[in-house]
Amino acid sequence: MKDACSAVSKLLEKYFDQEVTKEERSFVEAHLLDCSACRDALRFMEELRTLIKVPVEEAVQKEDFPWVWQKIERGIRLEERPTFWETLQSWLQISSIFQRKVWIPFVATIAVLLFVTTQFIIKKTPSYSEPYVVEYIESETYNIMIFESEKAKTTVIWLFEVPEQKSSTS
Amino acid sequence: MRRTFPIFLFILTLSLLLTSLSHAQVQTWLRVFEASNVGTGIDSSLRDMGDQLKSIFSFSSYRLLKEETLTLYSNQPVSVPVHPGRSIELTLTGQHKNVAEVIVKIKREQTDILNTKVRLSPGRTVSIGGPKHGEGVIIIALSARF
Repeated sequence: MKDACSAVSKLLEKYFDQEVTKEERSFVEAHLLDCSACRDALRFMEELRTLIKVPVEEAVQKEDFPWVWQKIERGIRLEERPTFWETLQSWLQISSIFQRKVWIPFVATIAVLLFVTTQFIIKKTPSYSEPYVVEYIESETYNIMIFESEKAKTTVIWLFEVPEQKSSTS
Repeated sequence: MRRTFPIFLFILTLSLLLTSLSHAQVQTWLRVFEASNVGTGIDSSLRDMGDQLKSIFSFSSYRLLKEETLTLYSNQPVSVPVHPGRSIELTLTGQHKNVAEVIVKIKREQTDILNTKVRLSPGRTVSIGGPKHGEGVIIIALSARF
């Protein structure tokens, strides 16, 4: 009997929590019919559970744990944060103008504007100083004179004919 | 977004490519005119050069013979007849921001009578003159448009 009590006592808590198998349940219930000590032990468990459960449930009902919900809501918000592309896409979908059909012309327009702007910026780039206008010059049939006028922004290359002899100037 | 992003990238690349290619071309304004002391006046097409011409030359008459706008591409010679038996050949060899380096060759019967390299910048005119033409001389004015 003691052996049976020992075996049942190991299963009693599981039995109380309804976690035993069908065979174990049959074994425990059969034993409880004949063993008052084990019945007392089971009753003690029930009383203990009741003693703990009632005040805990009352406390839970009184307390609404607002900080727990705040934490959960924050977690949900963090999980739901959209990616950059999702944000951009949703922003572009705000207006009916930005429908998928007009995407290509829209992008093309942006590209053209970029191209034109780039050209404009490049054109506005100040010129570097020009050390000379004529890098080299040669002629076998003419004498050459170079005249530069910075005021008039003009360079004149003047060719003088030399009919009788060939000359070379650089 | 998955579809449009590659298209956007393609167009962006294309525009950047066009931008870089556009740097390798220059519009050149070529004007050929006769300067003489026969008569007075200046052709309306040369009025923008009037002050320059008066400050440099002492001719009384300037008559336009030929005017052309040429698009020069890098290392691609462009030849234009300027006078019977003579032609001018322009080759863009380089471009740095708004300065274009151009090789100018004046040819007579396939022989180079002048070979020079000039740097054209906005507002600057390079004039090549001297050879006789009629009762005056011929002048070729070159300028670039960027």
